Amino acid sequence: MHKTIVAAGISAVLLAGPASAQTLNVATAGDQNMVDYIKDYLGPMFEKSHPGVKVVAVGTGPGDGGSQKIFEKLDAQKKAGANSDFDVVVIHQKAAGTLVKDELIKKYRDTLPTGKLVTRDTANNSLGTDVSGYVMPMFHSQTAIAYNPDLVKSPPNSYAELSEWVKKNPKQFGYNGIKGGMSGVAFVTGWVSAFGGDAAKLEVGPYDAATKASWDKAMGDLKEFNKNVVITPGNAGTLDMLNRGEIAMGPVWVDMFYTWKAEGKLPPNTRLKLVSPGMPGQPMYYAVPAKTGQEKLAEEFIALATSPEVQAEGIVKRFNWYPGIDANNVQSKLDKADWDKLFVDITPEALAANGKAFPIGPYFNDILETYEKKVAN
Amino acid sequence: MTTDHPLTAPRVAGAIPAFRKLPQTRARAPSASSVRWGGYLGTILKGLGLAVFAFMLFGPLANLALWSVAERWYTPFKLPVTYGLRYWEVVFRPTGDAMSSLATSVSIACLTVVVALAVSVPAGYALARLKLPLRTLLMIVFLLPQAFPSVAIYINVARVFYTLGLTGTIPGVVLVHAAHGLVYSVWIAAAAFAAVDRDLELAARNIGASPLRTFFTITLPLAAPGIMASAIFVFLESLDEFTGTFFVGVPQVTTLPLLLYNASMGGNYQIASITALILLVPSVLFMLFIERFLKADVLSKVGQ
Amino acid sequence: MTRPSFFGLILIAPALAMIAALFLYPLGFSLVSAFTVPGGGFSLTHFEKAIDLYSTDILFTLFIVILSTLLTAAISIAIAGALTLGETPWLIASLRFLYRWPLFIPFIVAAQCMRTFLAKNGLMNNSLVAMGVLEPLQTTSFLDWRGIVITFVWKQVPFVTLMLAGAMASIDRATIEAGRNLGASRLRVLFEIVLPQVTQTLLVGLVLSFVTMLSVLSVPMMVAGSQPTMMTVDMAFRINSYGDYATANALGVISYAIAGAVAWIYLRHNVKREVGA
Repeated sequence: MHKTIVAAGISAVLLAGPASAQTLNVATAGDQNMVDYIKDYLGPMFEKSHPGVKVVAVGTGPGDGGSQKIFEKLDAQKKAGANSDFDVVVIHQKAAGTLVKDELIKKYRDTLPTGKLVTRDTANNSLGTDVSGYVMPMFHSQTAIAYNPDLVKSPPNSYAELSEWVKKNPKQFGYNGIKGGMSGVAFVTGWVSAFGGDAAKLEVGPYDAATKASWDKAMGDLKEFNKNVVITPGNAGTLDMLNRGEIAMGPVWVDMFYTWKAEGKLPPNTRLKLVSPGMPGQPMYYAVPAKTGQEKLAEEFIALATSPEVQAEGIVKRFNWYPGIDANNVQSKLDKADWDKLFVDITPEALAANGKAFPIGPYFNDILETYEKKVAN
Repeated sequence: MTTDHPLTAPRVAGAIPAFRKLPQTRARAPSASSVRWGGYLGTILKGLGLAVFAFMLFGPLANLALWSVAERWYTPFKLPVTYGLRYWEVVFRPTGDAMSSLATSVSIACLTVVVALAVSVPAGYALARLKLPLRTLLMIVFLLPQAFPSVAIYINVARVFYTLGLTGTIPGVVLVHAAHGLVYSVWIAAAAFAAVDRDLELAARNIGASPLRTFFTITLPLAAPGIMASAIFVFLESLDEFTGTFFVGVPQVTTLPLLLYNASMGGNYQIASITALILLVPSVLFMLFIERFLKADVLSKVGQ
Repeated sequence: MTRPSFFGLILIAPALAMIAALFLYPLGFSLVSAFTVPGGGFSLTHFEKAIDLYSTDILFTLFIVILSTLLTAAISIAIAGALTLGETPWLIASLRFLYRWPLFIPFIVAAQCMRTFLAKNGLMNNSLVAMGVLEPLQTTSFLDWRGIVITFVWKQVPFVTLMLAGAMASIDRATIEAGRNLGASRLRVLFEIVLPQVTQTLLVGLVLSFVTMLSVLSVPMMVAGSQPTMMTVDMAFRINSYGDYATANALGVISYAIAGAVAWIYLRHNVKREVGA
């Protein structure tokens, strides 16, 4: 069987491939654009300043599922007593809390030169878990309602108006439920904050298991609301239906929205609207696994990634993402025009007023499970 | 002989070209002499049927091809607004690793086929021909890797592999893929061996062939089409596999489906389409290779 | 009797060892978490929860998979039959060239293709409108259970047909000839002479398709909205959103029970046939 020989030959070549002096493995949850950002922009930049180092980026899949995979891999390594394969991980909020609790990531921020540039509350508090020192925000993202101005002349300003609008325009609004990604989840938690009573308590606690009983009316209304909407397949599914004009409005992640627009997959005049009383957003975090062999390199990498220059050039200018470090440090590095592009659709005031955090962990889970029981079932 | 089906088994008369032609010539005669318009209508209906079939088959693939060269495509346009090869450049950019991931994917898939067939040919033979205790249970066990949520399994596999030093190595990934593909190779190999006519084996034994010789000259060649078909499925399964590769291989071993998975789930249609088209190449080549291999090897053994 | 059985066990041992090491052993952990509560001790709590929350989805999954398997069977028999008994060379040649292509498309890509193809303003409806078959207002989206079924059938028909056509090509042409010479229609020859000789292959293909479809995550996730959805999506959701492996594993046990039941029915049928023969 000469096939065997050929195959074995190929693999031998592969295994004996160029072993760089040092490799920095970066695993990132989230979309392909996150991987590309590291592969094409950050990686080469870091390699230039650190000769002999090779940066390898791996994507683990979009959404919490991607972060969960990083958690599982680190957990398996810890249980096997092995060193970690990853030197830097990029994760969502939910996983950050778990990783800190299970001591799978290091406390490194305080020694980082850029550590003091972080001002947002979410850098210390991840869905109710104290993560201060463990994570550095890479960028902040926000959910908002995307709409096609050709089909929606005056977009609703609030959840209540949206609910009315949907009644008048059945099947023109679409969102992806709660199992298809975080933009749908964000829409649902926003709904509960708007109609379910004490919104502030959901964000800061304290947790009270009895609270979920007070959501019955909101969830019942949501079930009613769902009758007139399209349930889309996933975060990308919502954008996809906007792409083909099958829905006129839907909740999306702002960063994905801009990527889709830049890739020519949305009508160029599509706009965003952040409705009141607010929709949640969350950062992506840089973290360092507890048992990496490349601690120093990893920290230098993150320091570079969170430096004002990179945040300005890479995060804001290239991708239209909100910076992870304090905005004042970033704004000064950019032309006014580049900076203002961030706020074309959503003004800084609207962002300050209506950009919320996700509910703390236990409420978060309660909302999802109540939705499963009362709305989806 | 190009119209021969790839999996044609060298079964007695059927495989001999002269016999094959017979039904066609004989059947065509009456239809030509009967009502002529019926023939035309039939041809039109067949053509239409084929067109609908081709549309359902290639429509989704046309979509794939279109997206791979679409630079801008959105409502209300029915076709891409601008075409271009920008995303091909993105996939093949120097830092993109597409080609090296492809090479890794293909060599892993080839090794997976070898490993899976090596263990499933004897297993298939035993399941089909020999008396085994709890045979039904054994067969069902092989379905396991397909039926259970793979994430939960792979986390535990990864944990075991860390202690063995198999994570991040090609053998580790091959083992995981092979176990996942075993359901195809074992089940299909068992069916293929079961379908072999025992009389032919007995005949060989009667003229003095040893059991081993009988197996290699009669049984195995006759079962080969099915086994080769299973090789195709194992190959494809390995080429698609994502979760196991992630837990066992990443970051040292990265395959093309990792890129595909990210791009596809995230709705990066252009990248995903191009990656899928790249993956199509080894799959089709492997299929063609298997067909050639089959014809040369199996058909030559007819009548031995 | 003992000797061949022992030899058989030796032959099957490597394959079994592989499954045992790479699946049974890791599966043990999963089963433990499905059947126990955190404090320890046997419990069916997780199954109650799984049924409580996902009973609709379990039924939905069964419906989708059974319907897809039946459609796959019907279409595969039709194509393989046409390939074996067809008398129009150009038709056979084109069919043979065509039918295999979806085989090479990974499920995740198939899902992505179908999502843009079957949508309300997708390529399919657009083409039909352009051809004048449909009015723009008549178009509907297929992105629900129909989309999942279409994607599954699209992907699995080539798989089953490849096996089936191979088996049909290897049956004795003389039996077909005899039937045709006696004046039987091709349909009758297909169902009374050809199919009975290839039932084994057909059923193996269908069982494998059934199990494969049961385990695919990307298609239900990407083609249809999540209400209701298939069990694989629920399993992924339990893990990703709650880190709740126990309920996910309980769903896995249910999924495996369904697959096992189908395999068992097939194997029983097989034993009966062998005894009867």
